[in-house]
Amino acid sequence: MLKKSIWYSIMAIACVSFIVLAIGFYQAIIVTTAVNLQPSSNEIPQTTPDSAQLTTKKTSSFKVLLLGDSVAKGTGDEKNKGFSGYLPEYFKNSTPKEILIDNAGIDGLESIGLLEQLQSGRLEKTIADSDLILISIGGNDVRGILTLNALAKEDQFKVRQDSYLGYLKQTLKVIRTANPGSILIFLGLYDPYEKANSVEDIRLLNTWNYNTQQLVEEDGKGLFIPTYDLLKFNLGRYIAKDGLHPNSAGYQALSNRISKSVESIITGS
Amino acid sequence: MKLFSLIENEVIKMISKKRLMFVLAILVVLISVFAYGQNHTSEKTKAQLAQRMGITATDDWRKLADQQLIDMKNRLDSPYMDENSKTSTRVRMEQLQYNVDNNINPLEQSAAKFTTKFMEQAIFLFLPLLIIMLAADMVSGESSSGTIKLLLVRNVPRWKILLSKYLTLVILEVIVVFLAFMLSAIISGFFFGFGGWLAPVATGFKVIAGKLDTSSVLNVPQWQYSLMVYSLAFFVAVVVGSISFMISILVKSTAASIGIIMSTLVAGNFLSFFLSDWKITRYMFMVNLRLTDYLSGSFQPIEGMTMLFSISVLLGWTIGSIIISFVYFTKQDILV
Repeated sequence: MLKKSIWYSIMAIACVSFIVLAIGFYQAIIVTTAVNLQPSSNEIPQTTPDSAQLTTKKTSSFKVLLLGDSVAKGTGDEKNKGFSGYLPEYFKNSTPKEILIDNAGIDGLESIGLLEQLQSGRLEKTIADSDLILISIGGNDVRGILTLNALAKEDQFKVRQDSYLGYLKQTLKVIRTANPGSILIFLGLYDPYEKANSVEDIRLLNTWNYNTQQLVEEDGKGLFIPTYDLLKFNLGRYIAKDGLHPNSAGYQALSNRISKSVESIITGS
Repeated sequence: MKLFSLIENEVIKMISKKRLMFVLAILVVLISVFAYGQNHTSEKTKAQLAQRMGITATDDWRKLADQQLIDMKNRLDSPYMDENSKTSTRVRMEQLQYNVDNNINPLEQSAAKFTTKFMEQAIFLFLPLLIIMLAADMVSGESSSGTIKLLLVRNVPRWKILLSKYLTLVILEVIVVFLAFMLSAIISGFFFGFGGWLAPVATGFKVIAGKLDTSSVLNVPQWQYSLMVYSLAFFVAVVVGSISFMISILVKSTAASIGIIMSTLVAGNFLSFFLSDWKITRYMFMVNLRLTDYLSGSFQPIEGMTMLFSISVLLGWTIGSIIISFVYFTKQDILV
């Protein structure tokens, strides 16, 4: 009798489950194979205002282009301003011109991504029009190796740094081809982790920054601006809740430093 | 004799042989171990995160999430983003918004997440092994114990006997998938709480020209996602079941048939290394078992390998082995 009832319940469960599973199977196929119903419609209107803005205001303005990763973009600022919000505030004391910012920063961008972005040619006109180009790149290149063990870290670091420097070199070349005259500001890397990092990590970070600086300063109008020193003892004040990006105060401090470094150039231009 | 009572007979035979109980016990033990391990790992991850970020980022996840939401919104507004990454950003935003709205820490595990994860991991080796346990001696067991004679002397055509055996196998496959689902939902519920079935999960990845295409990614509720995962698991169960059913008829020795199908499955893991270079490997059934990877987008995109391709390959193997099974079984001489 028991076997009989087990048999019936098995049969019932099997039938119901079979139907449910068949529906799920059908859905799974649809989801992974169905054609895309929404065409990329909102791509066209978004690019037009940008280029319109660029062509109309040409003479009496000072144009700044932000390139690179999330720091360039302004990620982490709780007031949502970042460099594009603060640089005009600090620059405006030095020049009567209108400060125009173009923010092309992309979260999580690595050096190869920046190079691809520039080589795609979409930014060529913007680059050519810029008076100052601010680059922040490399943080995402170096971040991936932090978790490795000491031995692998050293090796990986060399590999990453070599490829990074290669990409950066090409990137600068692309920028200089489009615009030989603009000021180029490169933001160095800082160390957002207060306790976790060892002396060894700091050494690697400094090596990275040093080599970057060498490369950037080869360009006559390039300037490497360190951030490590500014943030080292101020992590609590300048780092955002995500523990990685600068916060509003951090972006202000960095903007202030940048504006001081290029003060005379801006006044003279 | 009617087919229905033949199936009943077969199912009761399976229950008496305690095979199903065995499968049940294995599932209970393994799921408990996995759930405990998963619990342990997530505690550790949280501790590590807290240490690394210097702040109690795990408790402050709300502020972090709000910040990320603002960032992603800005990202969508940026004219320099390409359409592909926009869609995935939008999907990420929806998920995060759901977490914020429902006060769910994204680092937290849930029964629903675990249940889905479990089958995603089990689909290519563990589930097939369970199915093999049931399927491998359905016919060969009768041959080696001699009972096949008793079955065949009755006034029932041979194909009907084999069909009843095959349908029994399908029923048991449904039961195994059902049990796997129920058990992992219940057991992991004790560890992580029983909720999480409505949380959005991203799916809809496609491979276009050998690249992962995210332009049509969308969020589905977790219950629907895990339904899809378990449906694919059932399909895989039927495929593996059919193949081992065929081998069990061809080989006649239970031990040999289990050995053959198991080594084939394990070989599949090696073969998948050659997938991109060695074209013929993709027509093997073993390398196409990870169907759920197409749902989650977690596979290495390979030119020509899509959900439909994998399903067609598997379907081909299934139909092939059913045909061979029936032809061979009805034609063979049975000497005991």
